[in-house]
Amino acid sequence: MLSDVAARPRKRPVVKRSRRQRRSARVWPRVWHFLSFGAPGVLIYVCFVLVPILVSFGYSLTNYNPFRVNTRFVGLQNYKTMLSDDAFLTSLRITTILTLIVVIVPNVVGLGIAVLLDRRGWFYNALRSVFFTPMVLSSVVISVLWRRMLQDDGPINDFLRAVGVHDPPGWLSDPDIAIYSIALILCWQMLGFCVVIYLAGLAGVPKELMEAAEIDGATPIRRFRQVTWPLLAPALTVNTVVLLISAFKIFDHIQVITQGGPGTGSTATIAFLSIQTAFVDNHQGYASAEAIVMLVTIAVLTTISLAVLRRREVNL
Amino acid sequence: MRSSVPWLRPVVALVIGGFFFVPLYLGIINTFKDPEQIRTNPLSFPEPLTFKNITTLLSRPDNLYWASLTNSILVTGLSIVVLTVLSATLGHYLARTASRWGRALMVLLLCGLMIPPQVILAPITFVLRAVGLMSTLPGLVLFNVGYYVPFGVFVFTGFMRSVPRELEEAAAIDGATRGQIFWRIVFPLLRPATASVLIFLGVWIWNDFIDPLIILGPSQGTTITTGIFRSVGVWRTDYGTIFSLMFMGTIPVLIFYLFLQKHFVKGLTGGATKG
Repeated sequence: MLSDVAARPRKRPVVKRSRRQRRSARVWPRVWHFLSFGAPGVLIYVCFVLVPILVSFGYSLTNYNPFRVNTRFVGLQNYKTMLSDDAFLTSLRITTILTLIVVIVPNVVGLGIAVLLDRRGWFYNALRSVFFTPMVLSSVVISVLWRRMLQDDGPINDFLRAVGVHDPPGWLSDPDIAIYSIALILCWQMLGFCVVIYLAGLAGVPKELMEAAEIDGATPIRRFRQVTWPLLAPALTVNTVVLLISAFKIFDHIQVITQGGPGTGSTATIAFLSIQTAFVDNHQGYASAEAIVMLVTIAVLTTISLAVLRRREVNL
Repeated sequence: MRSSVPWLRPVVALVIGGFFFVPLYLGIINTFKDPEQIRTNPLSFPEPLTFKNITTLLSRPDNLYWASLTNSILVTGLSIVVLTVLSATLGHYLARTASRWGRALMVLLLCGLMIPPQVILAPITFVLRAVGLMSTLPGLVLFNVGYYVPFGVFVFTGFMRSVPRELEEAAAIDGATRGQIFWRIVFPLLRPATASVLIFLGVWIWNDFIDPLIILGPSQGTTITTGIFRSVGVWRTDYGTIFSLMFMGTIPVLIFYLFLQKHFVKGLTGGATKG
C-alpha cells in the first residue's frame, strides 16, 4: 500500500477560483489568527481603557453629577471654568514643581549611586538590594513610613533638636514645605529604579573603550564625560520618561499623608484633585475635564521628551 | 579605575546606603516593638523584642489581615495569569503581523502605557455598575487586565523578535496547529519575558492603591494596601496594627519577587545561549 501511494504522486485538485475567493482564502487565516490570539486582549483593552477615555471626554462636555438628574451638554464650559479656577491652577503649579524635582533629582543622584556601586562583590550586591527595596514596596507603605519619619515629633526633628535646632521645620504641617517633603519621598522611592537602569547601562560600556581612553591619557572625569555618559543616553531616556509619567500621576502619597493639605490644596496634585472632584464632590463632568487636561499634558510632555532624548541617542 | 584612596568608595557607599536605609529600618524594627515604645522612641532597638503586634494582628476578630491577604492574593494571582495569557498571545499576533492594521493596533496599545487611571476610573465605575461587577473582585481583575495589557504586550512583542520565525514554520509543516505551535514551542521560549511580566505586574497590582480603593469600595473588604490605608485612618495611633500589617503585607510580595528574580536571571542567560 505504501508503494502504491509513492508510485502515484498525489495530484492536487485544480479548482479555478474567482479573485474574491482567492483573496478570502488568504485573508481568513489572518482573521482567524486575530480572533484567536489578538481579539480577547484587544477587546478588554477597548472596553476598559479606550471606551472609558471617550466616555470621559463626553462627560467633560456636560455637567454630569451622578446624584443629580438634570445632566445637560455644556460645551467647553468646564474647560473655560478651569482657566479661572484657583484650585485647579494651584494643582497645576504643584504638579509642575513636583514633576520637575522628581525628574531631575533621582536621575542625578541615581547616576552617582550607580557609578559608586558599579563594582562586583557581596558588599556592593547587598547595598544594591537596599536601594532596590523601595521598588517592591507599596506607595502606601512608603507613605506611612515617611509620615512617621517626618511628623513634627518624628525621628528627623528629634535629631535636629538634639543637635541644637530649636525650631525644626514642620515637614508635613507647614503649607510652604509639605510639597517638597512629598517630593523628597518620591525621590527616595524612585531612586532604586534609576540605579537599576544606570547600572545596566554601565554594564554595557565596552571595557576596550575605557582602556583606550585611559591609554590616551584621559582623566577619569574626562573618560566619564566623553565615553560613559554618551553611552548612557538610552538609560537617561528610559529614566526621564518613566519618572515624568509617574510623577505626574502622583495620588497615593497625597491621599495617605496629607489629603491635599495642610491649608487649602498645598499638596493637592492634579491627580488628587480630579479624584477628589469626581468621587468626593461628585462633579464628574468637571472632574473628567480635569482628567482630560491631565492626559493631554502627559501625552504632550512624553512625546516631546522622547523626541528630544531619542535624537541625542541617534547623534552618537 | 585605580584610586589613590581605595577605602573611599566602600565607605561613601556605606554611609549613603545607611541613610537611605533608615525608613526601611523604621518599618522593620517597629513591627517588633511595644506600641507605646513605637510612639515615644521610633528609632530605638526593640526592648524587649516582642511578636505581640503580629500575633494580635493575626487573631483579630474582624479578620483584617487574613481577609485582606486573601483579596490581594486572589486579585493579583488572577490578574497576572490572565494578563500573561492574553498579552503573550496578543504579542505573538502583533509581532507576526506586518500589516498597517497591526502597526496601528500596536501604537494604540502603547498609548495605554501612559494613561493615568484618573481618566478612566469614573466611566469604569459606571460600566462595572451596569454589568453588576462594581465592588467585586472579578470587576477589579477585569479592570487590571485592561489597564495593564499594554505593558504585557510591550514586553512580549519585543521578546518575540528573538524567536526565529523558521521554528514556527517548521512546526506548521509538521502539521501542528497554531495553538499547539504557540503553547508548545513559542511560549516556553518566551520564559524570560513571562518572568518579567509576572514580576512587574505582580508587584504593581499587589501594591495598587487607587484602583482597589475606588473599585472595591468599602463594602467588599480590603486588599492589603487599602487595609493599611483604612487602619491609618481609623486607628490613628494604633501603631502596633499598622506596622505589623505593613510588615506582614509586604512579606508575600517580597518572597514572590526574590523567588522569581532568580528565575529571571536564569531565564535571561538561558535565552541568550539558546537564541
